[in-house]
Parts: sequence; C-alpha cells; structure tokens
Amino acid sequence: MAADVHNKGVTWDAPNGSLVPVDRLRSERSDSPTPGLVQGTEPGAGQEHAMFMHAQSFEDLAAESESNPDSDQAEDQSVLGESQEASEKEGEEEEQRGGAEPEEEQKDQPEENQKQHQKQKQEVQTGVRGKEEDVTSEAWRRHRKHVFVLSEAGKPIYTRYGTEEALSTTMGVMMALVSFVEAEKNIIRAIHADGCRVVFLHKSPLVLVGVSQSSQSDRELSRELQYVYYQIVSLLTLTQLNHIFQHKQNYDLRRLLAGSEHLTDSLLRLLDRDPGLLLNAVMSLPLSSSARDVVSTSLQAAKAKSLVFSILLAGNRLVTLVRKKDQYLHHMDLHLLFNLVGSSSSFREGEGWTPICLPKFNTAGFFHAHISYLEPKSDLCLILVSTDREDFFNLSDCKRRFLERLRKRSAYQALQEAVQTPTYPVSQVGIPELWHFVYKSKSSGLYTSPELPVPYQKEEEHERLIGLYRYLHSCLHHPTRPLRSVYRCGDTENLFAWVSTITTAAFNKQV
Amino acid sequence: MDQEYYLELSENPVQFENASSVNNVFFDEANKQVFAVRSGGATGVVVKGPEDKSPIAFRMDDKGEVKCIKFSLGNKILAVQRTPKSVDFTNFIPDFPHLEFSHECKTKNANVLGFCWTNWNEIVFVTDQGIEYYQVLPDKRSLKMLKSQSINVNWYIYCPETAVLLLSTTVQGNVLQPFAFKNGTMSKMPKFEIELPMVPKPAKISLSERDIAVSTIYGQLYVMYLKHQSRSTNSSGAEVVLYHLPREGAFKKTHILKLNTTGKFALNVVDNLVVVHHQSSQTSIIFDIKLREPDCAVNVHQPVLPARSIHPYKIPLTGPTAASVPCELYSSSWSVFQPDIIISASEGYLWYLQVKLQPTVNLLQDKGKLMDFLLRRRDCKMVILSVCSQMLDGGEKGNLPVIATVFDKLNQVYKEYLEAEQAYTVALESGPSRFSSSYKRPVRTQAVIDQSDMYTHVLSAFTENKDVSHKFIIAVVMEYIRSLNQFQITVQHYLYELVIKTLVQHNLFYMLHQFLQYHVLSDSKPLACLLLSLESTYPPAHQLSLDMLKRLSTANDEIVEVLLSKQQVLGALRFVRSVGGHDNVSARKFLDAARQTEDTMLFYTIFRFFEQRNLRLRGNPAFNPGEHCEEHNSYFKEVFGEQTLMKSAAV
Amino acid sequence: MLMISPRMASGTQEKQYTPSLLSFFIYNPKFGPREGEEEKKILFYHPIEVEKNEKIRNVGLCEAIVQFTRTFCPTKPAKSLHTQKNRQFFHEPEENFWMVMVVRNPMIEKPSKDGKPPTVEYQEEEILDSVYGAVLQQCYSMYKLFNGTFGRSFEAGGVELLIQKLEKFFYRYLQTLHLQSCDLLDVFGGISFFPLDKMTYLKIQSFVNRVEESLSLVKYTAFLYNDQLIWSGLEQDDMRILYKYLTTSLFPRHTEPELAGRDSPLRPEVAGNLLHYGRFLTGPANLKDPEAKFRFPRIFVNTEDSYEELHLIVYKAMSAAVCFMINASVELTREFCEQLDALVGPQLTLLASDICEQYNINRRISGPEKEPQFKFIYFNHMNLAEKSTIHMRKTASVSLTSVHPDLMKILGDINSDFARVDEDEEIIVKAMTDYWVVGKKSDQRELYVILNQKNANLIEVNEEVKRLCATQFNNIFFLD
Repeated sequence: MAADVHNKGVTWDAPNGSLVPVDRLRSERSDSPTPGLVQGTEPGAGQEHAMFMHAQSFEDLAAESESNPDSDQAEDQSVLGESQEASEKEGEEEEQRGGAEPEEEQKDQPEENQKQHQKQKQEVQTGVRGKEEDVTSEAWRRHRKHVFVLSEAGKPIYTRYGTEEALSTTMGVMMALVSFVEAEKNIIRAIHADGCRVVFLHKSPLVLVGVSQSSQSDRELSRELQYVYYQIVSLLTLTQLNHIFQHKQNYDLRRLLAGSEHLTDSLLRLLDRDPGLLLNAVMSLPLSSSARDVVSTSLQAAKAKSLVFSILLAGNRLVTLVRKKDQYLHHMDLHLLFNLVGSSSSFREGEGWTPICLPKFNTAGFFHAHISYLEPKSDLCLILVSTDREDFFNLSDCKRRFLERLRKRSAYQALQEAVQTPTYPVSQVGIPELWHFVYKSKSSGLYTSPELPVPYQKEEEHERLIGLYRYLHSCLHHPTRPLRSVYRCGDTENLFAWVSTITTAAFNKQV
Repeated sequence: MDQEYYLELSENPVQFENASSVNNVFFDEANKQVFAVRSGGATGVVVKGPEDKSPIAFRMDDKGEVKCIKFSLGNKILAVQRTPKSVDFTNFIPDFPHLEFSHECKTKNANVLGFCWTNWNEIVFVTDQGIEYYQVLPDKRSLKMLKSQSINVNWYIYCPETAVLLLSTTVQGNVLQPFAFKNGTMSKMPKFEIELPMVPKPAKISLSERDIAVSTIYGQLYVMYLKHQSRSTNSSGAEVVLYHLPREGAFKKTHILKLNTTGKFALNVVDNLVVVHHQSSQTSIIFDIKLREPDCAVNVHQPVLPARSIHPYKIPLTGPTAASVPCELYSSSWSVFQPDIIISASEGYLWYLQVKLQPTVNLLQDKGKLMDFLLRRRDCKMVILSVCSQMLDGGEKGNLPVIATVFDKLNQVYKEYLEAEQAYTVALESGPSRFSSSYKRPVRTQAVIDQSDMYTHVLSAFTENKDVSHKFIIAVVMEYIRSLNQFQITVQHYLYELVIKTLVQHNLFYMLHQFLQYHVLSDSKPLACLLLSLESTYPPAHQLSLDMLKRLSTANDEIVEVLLSKQQVLGALRFVRSVGGHDNVSARKFLDAARQTEDTMLFYTIFRFFEQRNLRLRGNPAFNPGEHCEEHNSYFKEVFGEQTLMKSAAV
Repeated sequence: MLMISPRMASGTQEKQYTPSLLSFFIYNPKFGPREGEEEKKILFYHPIEVEKNEKIRNVGLCEAIVQFTRTFCPTKPAKSLHTQKNRQFFHEPEENFWMVMVVRNPMIEKPSKDGKPPTVEYQEEEILDSVYGAVLQQCYSMYKLFNGTFGRSFEAGGVELLIQKLEKFFYRYLQTLHLQSCDLLDVFGGISFFPLDKMTYLKIQSFVNRVEESLSLVKYTAFLYNDQLIWSGLEQDDMRILYKYLTTSLFPRHTEPELAGRDSPLRPEVAGNLLHYGRFLTGPANLKDPEAKFRFPRIFVNTEDSYEELHLIVYKAMSAAVCFMINASVELTREFCEQLDALVGPQLTLLASDICEQYNINRRISGPEKEPQFKFIYFNHMNLAEKSTIHMRKTASVSLTSVHPDLMKILGDINSDFARVDEDEEIIVKAMTDYWVVGKKSDQRELYVILNQKNANLIEVNEEVKRLCATQFNNIFFLD
C-alpha cells in the first residue's frame, strides 16, 4: 500500500515546517517510559490540568472543530498526555491481526501488482467485500454494520459492502437528507427504526453515514465514523481534501483513494474487535522494565534531524514510543498507524516509505513514515515518523543503528521471547469464574485484557463480546447521565463495569 | 290441578275388619296397633300394627265389654279394661304363666278413665281422682305401686313419643297438668292454663279433649289447641294455638296458626308440618312453624300453601272384579291420631298421611320461601335440585338476585353440616374421654346439598345448555362461587374448571386473567396445569400458571420442568438456586435442555456451573458416572476442546 | 410554544427550556401523489399558522426519511429522526396514514456578555425515544377511542370528514399534552389495579352481573375504585386507553367533595329506601333538571374486528366509579337514566363503603411495614398492571415524581435496554449522585428500584431488592 501512494506520486506538499522545532539535546528527549502501572501509581493523574492547557493549543493547531459532539475531551486530554508513558505493562491480549498475516508467496512480486494482490487479500479476509454483492439483497441488508462515505456533492467515496456505483442513488438521498436538515439551520444526527439505526456525520468536505443493526449507541457509531474520516484524512490531509472539492465540486475521490479501501475495511474490523479503539488506549507488549529501557534508549539513540516519533510495535502491541519533546501522539493517530501497518503485508518485503497525515496532530500536513519489520518473519515492526520527505535513507540508517545497539545490548533476545508470549490467561488474575475483562489506565492511556477464553474465540462471539464492552462503555460515559458503575446480568454473562477517577474496567463473569 | 295435591294417604294402608255391632275396634297410639275385638274377644282378637306383617291373633274369655285394650311395649303384656275399677293383664312373654290376672285401682271410689303403658312393664292408671304408676311383675302376676298422685281429672292425653301424660283439671278443664315418665320415675311438670275464647258462667267443663292434640314438632313437644271462634270483626275464624312444653322450665304459648275459617277440624303432624283438615270444605292446609323466625313471643302463621284436598284415594275391591271405588275423604267416620295417622273404622283402614313436595314447587312462588320450606323437609334433595335447574333455565329478568338468595340458603345448611362434622372430628381427636359420648356423629339430612350435588345435577347440565347466554352462565357460576366463599366453604376444583372451560369456549381470556389476578380461582396444581395447557391459545396463561405454582410453594419441581420446557435453562437454574436446590438437581436434565437450545454459549455456561458444583461437592469438577453426563462431556470437549475442561487443580 | 420550566440554574441567568411540541401533523402520501398536489397529503397540521410550503417541505422530509430507511430495513419503518435541535417521531397506525410529532430538545440559553445574542445549547440526549414514541401512539389510540379509525371516517365521509374530525379532536387534545412531564409510565401505559380481597371482589362481580342482567342494554361494564381498576368487561387494549382517559382527564375534572369529607352531596331523593351518593360523570349533571341532556360521549372499541360504537356512561358513588357501555345505535332516554340511577345508585353506594371498609381492614392487617419504603416502578406486560411508589400523582398535566428527573431518565435508559433483547435481565447501576438504580426483567415483568444508600455495595443492593420482591411480589413468579 505504501508503494501505491508512492507510485501515484502524490505530491501535495504540506507547509508543515511549523511542526519541526528540531531539538537535538538528548537530555530534552523524553525519558524512557515510567513503569507506572506496575507499581500502581498513576503519574498522569496529577498532570491532568497541565495536559488540559496543552490539549487546547493542540486542538487549535489540528483545526479540530469544537462543535463535534463526540470528541470526548477528558479522554483525549488524558491520553494525549499519557501516550508518552507508553510503557511496560502486565498482560496483553492476542488480537486478530487484520491483514497482517505473513504471505511468503508475495515475496518476490513486483510492487505494481501489490495493489491487485491487496484487493484479493482483502476479499479473502473480509469474505464480504464481493464487488458483485447485490445491494438490494437481504444478505446485503443483514450486514451488522454498514459504513458509507460520500462527498457533499453526494458522490460515493466508500462503502463497506457492495459497490459504490450501485449505491450512488442511495448516497444521493443521504446527502439530500443532510443538506435538507441543514437548510433549516439544524444538523441531522440519526434515524432510528426497530433494531436498526442510521447515523450521520458531516465533516466537510465529507459526509459519513453508518447503519447498524446492533444495539450500538449513536455516539459510539458516530465515533467510529470519525475514525473513518481521520483514516481518509490521513491519506490525503484535510487541506488537500478541501482543495480538491473547492476546485471540483463533484470530484470522484475514489480515483485518489483507489486501493486504500482495505485500510478502511481493516480499520472497521479493528473497531469491531479491538477494545483499544473503544477505550482510546493501546495495549503494550509485556516486557521486563530493564529490557524495555534498553529498547527505548536504543531507539532514542537512533535519532535523526527530522525524526519526530519512533515507534516499535509487536503485532498490535506497543513496545515503546519515543517522541520529540513537546510533540504528542494522539492515540487515534497511533491506531491509524497500527492500522496502516497491520493491514498491509508489503512492509514485510523491505523498508516502506510512505507519506502519512496524522490528523489529530495536524490535519494539514504529511509526515513521512519509514516502516519496516526488524525481521521478515517477526512481528516486530519499527515505524519512524519524519517531517522530511527526502529523509528515507537517514531513517533507514536510524533503523540500522537501532538494531545494532539492540543486538549489542543483547536486549534483542528478550524482545524476541516477549513476542512469543504476548498474552496471558484470565485465570492468572485468580478471580474464579471470571471469564474476561478489560482494564484501562486513564493516566497512561494503556489498557490490558487477557486472551479470549474459548467460547469467545468464534468471530461472532468475539464481536458480541466487544459489543458488550461497547454497551458498558457508553453507559458509563453517557454525556449527560454518566454512571459510576454498571452491573448487568443477562442470559449469557454477567457484566460489571466501573469508572474511578483514573481507571475504567469492565468485567465479564458468569454466575 | 292434579299435581297440586300436596297431601296423600299412604300407598298400603293397614287393613282390619271394620267396626260393627259384634266387632269393636281399638287403636293404641303407643304401638300404633289396631285391635279388632269380636264379641268381647271370645270369637277372637286380631292385632295389626304397621311393622308386623303377621297380625297377632288370640282369644280371650268374654268377661264383659272391653273399654280399653293395649299391649305393653314389645307386646310383652296385654292390658284390658272392662270395669271402671280394675284392669286385667295377660302375659304374652313365652314360657310365662299365660293366666290372666287383675288389678284394682288403689284410690277409693275412683273410676279408671283409662291407662297407658310407659314401658314394657310400667303402666299408669288414670282415674278421675288422680294417677297411679305401677310396675307389672308378670312372674308374680301382680303389680307394684311406684308412685301415685291425687288430682281431679276430667280427661287425659298421653304422648307415647315423649312419655308425657296431660291431665285436664279444674272445673273448666282448661288447666292442663303434665307428667313425664322415665324408667320408674314420674315427674310432675308445671301445669298451665289454656286460654279459652270465652269463660262460661256458671263454670262448666268447656275444654274438650277433641280440641287438644300433643305432638313433637322439630323435636320439641307441643300442645296444640284448636281454638274455635266464630269469624267476626275481631277474629278471622278458628285458629290453632301451640303451647311449647320444654323438658325443663315453663310452658310457653309460642305459635298461632290462622285457619281463616270455622267448622270441624282435625290435626296431624307430618314431617314437622302441622296439617289442619277442614271437614266442611274437604280441604287441608299446612303450617311450618319455622317459616317465620320468632320475632315476638307469639308469632302468627298463615298457611304455607293454599288449601287443597288430600289426593283422591281409591279402595281396591277384593274379589273377582279388580275394580276399585273412590274412598270418601274427610268422612265423619274418620278418626285422626297423632302424629300422622288417619283411621276409617267404618271401612277398616289405617293410613299414614304424607306430604308430597313436588307440587309445592309451583304453589310457592317466592323461591326463597320455597327453599326455606323444602330445606326442612325429609325427602327434599331431588326436589331442591330440580327447583335450581328450572330456576336457571327459566332465565327470566332479575333472576340473579333470586338465584343468589337460593344459593345462600343452600350453602347456609351445607356450612352448618360441615361445621358439625368438623366439631365432631375435633371432638374425636381430643380423645374419646368425655366428648365422644356426648357428641354423636351429625346426621347428614337430605337438605345438605354439597358442591358435587350442585355440579352433577344442576351446573354441568346448565353450562352445556346452548340456549343460555354464556354471560348468564358465568354470572351464575360466579354467583355460586361467591356464595360458597361467603360461607367460607372451600370451593372444589371442578367448579373452577367449569368457569375456565366456559370462559375459554368464548375466548373471554381477559376475564379469566382478571379472575386469576384477584385469586378468585384459588391456586392448585391441577388448575396451574390447566392454565399451562391454555398457553398455546393464550400466552399469558404461562405466566399465570407459573405464579400459581410459585404461590403453592410445593411445586418447585413443576416450575423447573416448565422453564426447561420453554428452554429457559438458565432461568430454571437460577430458580433452583434461589430455592437452594441446586446441589441435588440432576445435571443431566439441565445439560440436555441446554443442548437442545443449540446455543453453545449457554451450554458452556451450564456445563461450567455443574463443573463448579462438582468441585464444590466432591473436590473434583468431573461428573460421576452415575450422572450419565458422558455424552455432554464429550460434546463439550468436541466444541471447546479438551483443555477447556476444568482442572481439579484449578482452584 | 416555549415553556419555561420552574427550575432555573441558580446564580447565573441561565434559562432552561423543557422539551416542547414544535409541530404535529398527519398525512397520507396516497392522497396527493402527483406533483403540485402535495398539499392534499396533509390531513392535519399543527400549528395551523405554518406557511403552506413549509408544511409541504416537512411532510416531504418525513416521506423521504421513511422511504430511505426502507432500503435498510424494509419491514421495520422509521421511528424517529434525531437532529441537533429536535426529534421527530413517526407512527403509521393505519396503512399509509402517518402521524408525526416534532419535539424540540430541551435547551439552555446562556446570556453572553457584551450584548451579543444569548447562546443556545441543545441537550440532545435528554429526550427518550421510547417515551415520546409512546406518547405519539397514545395520541392515536385516544383519537381512535373517540373517533374510530382514520380509514372508517374516510370511507364514511371522505377526506373532508376525516380532516374535520382530526381538527376537532387534536385541536383540543394537543393542548393537554404536557411533554415535559412524560416519563417511563407513558411507555408502559399501564393500569393500576386496586388491591382487594377475594370476597369483596366477588361481591363486585355479582353487582356487575346483576346490573348487566337487569339493564340488558349495557354491553360492557368497567368498575374502578380510587381511580384504580377492579373489573373490566372490555378487552385489554381498549381498557388501557379508556383507563388513561378516565384517570388523566375525566376524573380529575370531577373533584370529589365527599372525599374532602365535608358537604358530601348526599342527595335528597330516596331510591330503594336509601339515600345514595350516585351521580353521572358523563351525561346529565342533574337528573332533576328538566333541561338535562341525555347525551353521552361515544367511544369505539374492538376496532380490529367487530368495530363497535358505544355510549360511555360513567357513574360514580363516593370513590367507586362504574362505566356502562351501551350500543350507540340505542337512543338513551331520561327514563333509562333514571332507572339506572335508581338501580345502581343505592347498590353502588353500599358497595363503595364495603370496599372502603375492607380496604382499611386489609391495610391494618398487612400493617404499615408493608407500605414500601422503597421507591419503585413495577409493570407487567401481560395484564398491564402498573405500580409506582415514585409518582405521588400522575395526570396528563403533572407528574409529581419524588426523584430527580435524571434518575427517571436512567430508568428510561434501562427500560430501552430491556426492550432490545427478549431475555430475562437484571441491571444495577450507580449514578454519579451515588443513587443506586436497579432494573429487573423477568418473563413479562419489569421492576425498577431506586435506592438511596450511598455506601451500599452491589451485593447489599441486590439483597435489598430481593427483600423488596419478597415483601411486595411474593405472590408472583419473579426470577432473581
């Protein structure tokens, strides 16, 4: 995928100099992550206020519209502040890898074919992205969650199921509804029918519509639409988007996004299955603090003039994140990066170099990401985010230096082993008949969750489980009637969730 | 008209040779025996009683005209009075000297008016100067004086039932002195005066024994006085005045029966009804002294029914021509004895007077009064039930209130019986010691009409009746249930079924629902099951039935079954746990049910639950062979994998 | 249209506006299919003043929404449209007849300094679909009760008649809608039953049966005491809406002097040798009045099948009220009313005092401890039985609840959660105000409890609820 963007030779340049007050002073590099959670202290908690100020200024920079009902300030702030502390943490959960399973047979294929292959792969993965799917069929309707993206001219940009062409009229109607309501100085939010709801999100120049058969709340749905919005922005930048549509009102954006649909597809799958996106948090790889320190310092050492963020991933888990002073990486941006890596196998073929916009950071400009796996077969993936699009070889060099240090400090071995056992069984926490749980530390923006017990490993059960967490989450964080705790005893499981000033957790236990 | 004769003469009367110059006929009220004495007994005496088929026949020497002849109780000793001074006796006891012996009354120059047996060997002589109470010693062929009392006697009346002797004393004869006899003792009861319509001057005997009758009504002894008075402005003709003679305490004038006419009358008592025959009009009327509850000291009664003649009677002619001639009713040759005997000496017949209830039904319009009347009669059951059926099918306006009162009256009696029954059993349980002797089992009279009577003879047929609106049917049955409840009688299940059946037939489920809501149909397992069976047509029945089972609190197993049958496996499990039975329920039962739901998640849950239980009870999550859960075990492994099975070491 | 609620955020000059009715309209797309005929679709529109084209536009939007939603769920029509400023509720009670109710979201008006126009902030999460959806359906049911179905009117007198009926009814009815006081009870639309012992209940039964027997005109009877139902001869759904009418509209209009104790209107005339308190709540106020009119409201029941039109006679003695329903084709005369008065008055008076007596006896037996210290709402879908210790009073105009509106909304949320899945559930939540709110659903029953025990933990709360069930609902099957 990275290659695709390259080939297309997209050369919109964003005046993003503003982002790089480069500072070389090592001392001013961020410290290695504090192992806060392990000791049960919540360093972030005290800083919330400070973070708040910063968040404000950040929001201005990102030109984020305040009016958005779904932007959960508190969450954002804490996470913004805390992502720096991405740190050692007990216990993770095995997460389905989106499109990231190794595909040897693709090894020696020329990049041109990648796109084609990606497509096929997506079809295999989602099983439903059949272009030939009949949009009037019952089967099409019965999909649990539809997502549509269209331009303000009503032109289809994306649909999760079926083809955009087939849906152009439907999308036309959607646009009509949106603009009709807006003509009354009003904003359309949602339509409800029994067991089905349609949620609208207008983020100029795009209109996003979600249709859900599940009991998911409007808020959650519209949050997910935002993710999709940022996914698209991350490919083009908002500036570019606006530019395009100012210039040509009914431009068919698919021409630009062609081949990137699978990114959105896999993002939606993540949303269905990864509590992280629900909780605005990430999960980190369990690793001894010493080992993690080594990794972090090694990564810090491998610095470059324009290098802003250095991120080491193991699958969908964060190993460590190093950032320039005063530069904060929003969990959303982080998830977009995860998604980018997770949904394309091409980076396994070597070092990838792709422009990417991190919309929560700045919707106006492109970063340039150097993405590569430490070894073809390993899950360890290094992302180096630079502001300079000519920086490929510098970063490639950074990687080399990082690896050297790692090996020298013989932390590599520890890392390898950690990757082998990324999860832990729920029984480890020693609560009898506890089936599953999710725990988030607001202060660190990290969450943990044990591996899925057997009954939840089936895909639909897995998504049902996430659905339950989603339900609990939206109960707890109701905008006007938030709750301290929720207990629900149903036919299959007993759920319990509570939020304290600093933590959110959801248990899931059968009595 | 024919069905309106409510009095009749008994089918098979006692026949005897009719009175004639050579044949004197006597009647003994004590033994209800008729004596036909031909020429002073020389040509034979034939004694016929109601019971004994074979009449007693014997001879005795003609020692002069027989004034009075009576057997002692059980026909042991025969007493015959021929002279005004003495009475002759003859043993009839086998292997006792058969020779006649005689006894003179003690009192000087007193005349024996007559005698009466109070026992098999005790006899009372009544003389114009008093009474003499003797014990007869058949073996010694002599009498032993027990007691005597001197008092001027005009005439006397003896009531065998109560062994009470009434003496008419004083000049006018209207002061009655009763004596009671009981094995060997004679007790003098307070005397009392009969109020005469007018006091004659100069005083002379003015109360004749013909106008006095003694009988027991409703178990109480009454003296009935036939008070003649010409109809005039201040009086509505003759009346019968009843004086109550309690065993202890003073007599009381309690009832006045209005005859509304004058003439010759005769009295009978049948089935506790006072029957008054009026000769000139050849009709009879009946009174029920209970029909009006005593509000004042004396209460006045009108006839229960309009006057009617006794049902015509035909006398079969003997001989070749099997024809029969109508018998002259109310003939002057009739003599009437208490309580219910009519004798025609001239024709040689003794009848029992009987009351027919069926005709009364049409004669007595007021159903409430009718019920009061019928409920006190002996053979009332079928009549009452027929009245009910007819009343329901009639279905004329404003019927319900009547129906209600009728039901209430029936259940009143029903309840009284039940209470007596209960008191009796309680008494028995409390030890035979003193109670059981005093308490005797309450007799169940025909008037006791219970729910099954009502159901089989009235309601079941009635609810089948297609011409009656279901609205009315339900109203009636509910009315009956209401009445039962009012008397705190537990309603039988089949009545509820009747209601439900009717409601369901007409799809009146919401009504049914409301009834159950207010527990009008009391809880019971059968009822709960009946409801369950309705679920298909009326889903809420399921909930109703569960509630009922819950209230019964003895039906937990049923509840579990119901829930399982509805595939509410978890619900069933939670319920079992809530009643603390989860340690001994069969795991297999639940696992089977879970399997049927084809919900693997559910199966997993249930399976885990029992693994936990096993662990708790036996320290090992595995199932015992006895529980027969092998197949489920393997199914679990097959679906969730071996490793998912709980390890005994896990906790 | 705006209604300023009494409660204002103290201190600041913030103004809070409760939800209010923006518009209410009824249309039938089939009535104006062709271009330029759109106006014909509109059968009723409130407020009248709205300019024609806007009416047409709004109806158009609704049509579009409905149409659009069909592409995703053809079987389940659109129920509501959420926008920033308001919510629109759709209801298609009869084929192609659509009722739409537009409710403005509650809002807070913050005066901004330096004379700029005040900023308005809409509270989009305050309105519960379930509640106002139910209110809309109630509008139809109530209309149908007194006017029959749209379809029948249309067949009878064409659009003109229908429009006329709609305007006549809704013009008044809409004014009685008090949207700010709607809550969970409107969702249930339940019936409160009067607790009564078996014997007294049977007495009432036989009273009803006797009256129906002697007044054969009477087709259905309903019996209430203290505004609570005891017996209904009507089918459940008809009774449900009739009950709503009686308790929220008719009864409140006739306040009870005899309940106030003094000057009870013991009527001079003697019926059945007994002075009685009977009087007509519908029809003639005073039988003696020579001018008295003998016209009674007409109602329509069993519209699904037999479609009956009936006179509604409501007769009351003390706290006992009886509804007699009589085929509307019959002319009701003075004679009939006098007969009814003479027959029913005395009996009902007796019955009423019986019931009162019995009730007090039972009260004394059960004792005060049975009077719940709990705040709860109970509802049973099977028989529509409803019990609330939260509402001191609930009429159309006011619902006096003893708990904070937010808690009521949480109840509403839990209720919608229950509605989604058809399985027994229990939900216990702790609000930020530290109140515990418990929702329980077992078979067709729902129970909501509010506990003010800040320091209790989940288990204690659960125990507390068990205790409640044991005391209040021990005679029904309630899974826990």
